[in-house]
Amino acid sequence: MSSAAVSFRDVRKSFGGVRALDGVSFDVAAGDAHALVGENGAGKSTLLKILSGSLRPDNGELAIDGRPASFAGPRDALTQGIGIVHQEMLAFPDLSVSANIFAGRELTRWGMLREREMRDRTRALLERLHVPFSPDTLAGALPAAYRQLVQVARALAFDCRVLALDEPTTSLTDAEVDDLFAVLNDLRQRGVTLIYVSHRLPELFELCERITVLRDGHHVGTFDRAATRSDQIVRAMVGRDLPPRVADSSAGPRASDQPLLEIAGLTRRPAFEQVSLSVRPGEIVCLFGLVGSGRSELLETLFGLYTPEAGSVRVLDRTSVPASPRDAARAGMALVPEDRQNQGLFFNLDLRHNLVLSREMARGSLCVRDRLERSEAQEMLRTWNVKAPGVEAYPDSLSGGNQQKVVLARWLALGPRVLLMDEPTKGVDVGAKFEIHSIIRRQAAAGSACLIASSDLPEVLELAHRVVVMREGRIRGEIAGEHADEERVMRLATAEPGAAA
Amino acid sequence: MKRLWQTRELSTVLILALEVLFFAWYLAPEGGRSHPFLNGPNALLILKYSSIYGIAAIGAAMVIISGGVDLAPGAVIALASVVLGGLFVESGWSLGASVSAAILVGLSCGVLTAVLVVLVGLPPFIATLGVMGIARGSAFILTEGRFIDVSGSLPRGWQPFGVPIDWIAPGAMIGLAIVFQILMVRFQWGRGIYAVGGNETAARFSGVGVGAVKTSVYVIAALLAAVSGVVLAIVQGQGKADLAMGYELDIIASAVVGGASLSGGRGSVIGAVLGTLIFGVLRNALPQIPGATFYDRLIVGLVVIVIVVMDQLLVRRGR
Repeated sequence: MSSAAVSFRDVRKSFGGVRALDGVSFDVAAGDAHALVGENGAGKSTLLKILSGSLRPDNGELAIDGRPASFAGPRDALTQGIGIVHQEMLAFPDLSVSANIFAGRELTRWGMLREREMRDRTRALLERLHVPFSPDTLAGALPAAYRQLVQVARALAFDCRVLALDEPTTSLTDAEVDDLFAVLNDLRQRGVTLIYVSHRLPELFELCERITVLRDGHHVGTFDRAATRSDQIVRAMVGRDLPPRVADSSAGPRASDQPLLEIAGLTRRPAFEQVSLSVRPGEIVCLFGLVGSGRSELLETLFGLYTPEAGSVRVLDRTSVPASPRDAARAGMALVPEDRQNQGLFFNLDLRHNLVLSREMARGSLCVRDRLERSEAQEMLRTWNVKAPGVEAYPDSLSGGNQQKVVLARWLALGPRVLLMDEPTKGVDVGAKFEIHSIIRRQAAAGSACLIASSDLPEVLELAHRVVVMREGRIRGEIAGEHADEERVMRLATAEPGAAA
Repeated sequence: MKRLWQTRELSTVLILALEVLFFAWYLAPEGGRSHPFLNGPNALLILKYSSIYGIAAIGAAMVIISGGVDLAPGAVIALASVVLGGLFVESGWSLGASVSAAILVGLSCGVLTAVLVVLVGLPPFIATLGVMGIARGSAFILTEGRFIDVSGSLPRGWQPFGVPIDWIAPGAMIGLAIVFQILMVRFQWGRGIYAVGGNETAARFSGVGVGAVKTSVYVIAALLAAVSGVVLAIVQGQGKADLAMGYELDIIASAVVGGASLSGGRGSVIGAVLGTLIFGVLRNALPQIPGATFYDRLIVGLVVIVIVVMDQLLVRRGR
């Protein structure tokens, strides 16, 4: 047993009246891979921010290698060997990869940038990470997975002894996760201590020796991988047993029913080509594909955000492609977008407006009826079990899972017959995920056609009556829910270009 | 935008009241002479001159709330005054027809801005900078720099609709402010403006007609600027291509002092009008302080900074 690389001692931090961390103490052993889990709002991000010097604790202390440490800022933490890979992409999209890696600590001589040396060091780092792009590539032109790796490279460039990763795999495909893990394991061989935050339990068990669980700002416990099962971790996270999964009570779709959504030959190059599929009432069709397979673009086109080049769409008995989201909503569709921060929520408006906006826009009502809307919004918060202080609260006071439920509730308020969802549970905690899944099942049981894009394979396998796999903008195959397993789905999703699907 | 009248507007009213009290005290005359600042005619004067800014500020506030910015109002004001003056005084058009033509010219400036922003996709700063040049330039070309004397052609003691001419401009400002405040808060259209300014992508996904919202705010902003120009031509009795130079910045400052955020999604029409009154009082009272003549731009600049910093501190504490 080696000594602690990082120790938290009775760390406390409050924001306004909210206690984000309430006396958290634990050690991270040097050279370990240590997982940090908890529901949204449990305090993981706050703890990482304290570790990275962006926040100062109100109370308690942080020790690095047994010595008390206090950081003036993120830069200070970085120089002392603490690197963070953030959940949000903090890259400068208009700068090259090497400029991103050295941002804030450029190598200079007499104030002049030593471009060549930075580029050479970047190339060496990228080779170490086995990534195939040049140091001169613009960071903004890289796929999401590679942007994460740029951040890892940035931490490595500063010879970090401790590397903390905040949900690095959220937007990565399984193959990319494997690559990342290979890199991380390699780093551990070299003695780097890893702190790994994720919602994906299988990943934690694969990578980390120890798992620390936070709940409501408290340290619930630190578990050894060898002596723990994942349901114990889940129980520690939510503080209760999850109710057993409700047996799918809906009969599912009936083959005799006319599809509510029917797409034929829909094409919008370069995103997708010749997409044909149909969804019947009561049916949950999961659209599985890796990042870049064209799923999001397909849903957004169906919803009238883009004009397709060719093909036809029929929604209920309407046969034209929706011209705008409002048009699509009037036709009976709803789209719950992937990125709730940027595509879903209005942080300048209170929850009431956030909840009723789409329905009122679709109805084309002229006036804002304050009292009515407020009581309807209250009803919606209750129905969908959104934890919020009230309808006059603003979305930024809600946790990620509750924010997602607000976006969901906004669209369900339209009573859509065709429900499109893009990554409905991305970045939400176990409890909220469970609730969102049961909301989807409820919608299907009530006769809606649900088309759900997801790259979360367990989710797809759990929800889908039928799995449709997309790769490189085309549909590569369909598997009935009961025959779908990870291997069959992944084989369709990852086959080499040109191979028969 | 919860209620018609929010606490943020109350604080602007409070600042205005403190300002008036300060000048009432500071400029108080000795022994029995009439007060040079605190009297009816002076109040009307402040309202009258503020309304030139205030009417345009209503539109500017809507543009800012939608997440844009409008640099054209000063130039549109000048162009409208020149069109009105030229047609009414020099071409012998009726007053009604000249006013309509001036407003129509303003409207076309707004349509041009909307085309540039919505269809061409220019950033509002650039689009309105261009329109500012076009409007100001057109005013110079039309007049060749001449001064047009409108006051000489207005009937003496003229009372349109039985209202004394001095009351027309403040009345128009207050009436328009109330109408647009209601439209912004009680109507779907206004909610769309706040939504677009708060998060344009989310607005598009949520079924808000983003292009229509932006078109409407730029057209209305230019329309209201033209109304300001008409008011200016009648109140000051002149049309001239170099009138209202730099007003766009005063107007933006008024909206910001009244609670608008240049990053969009926050602010109000009433706040912007109150903001113009705060500056109107300053412009009226400062010249009455002996020796303060050269300080007024400096003080106006300081006031903008102090009020906005105070606002941010309050917002931060509220979180």
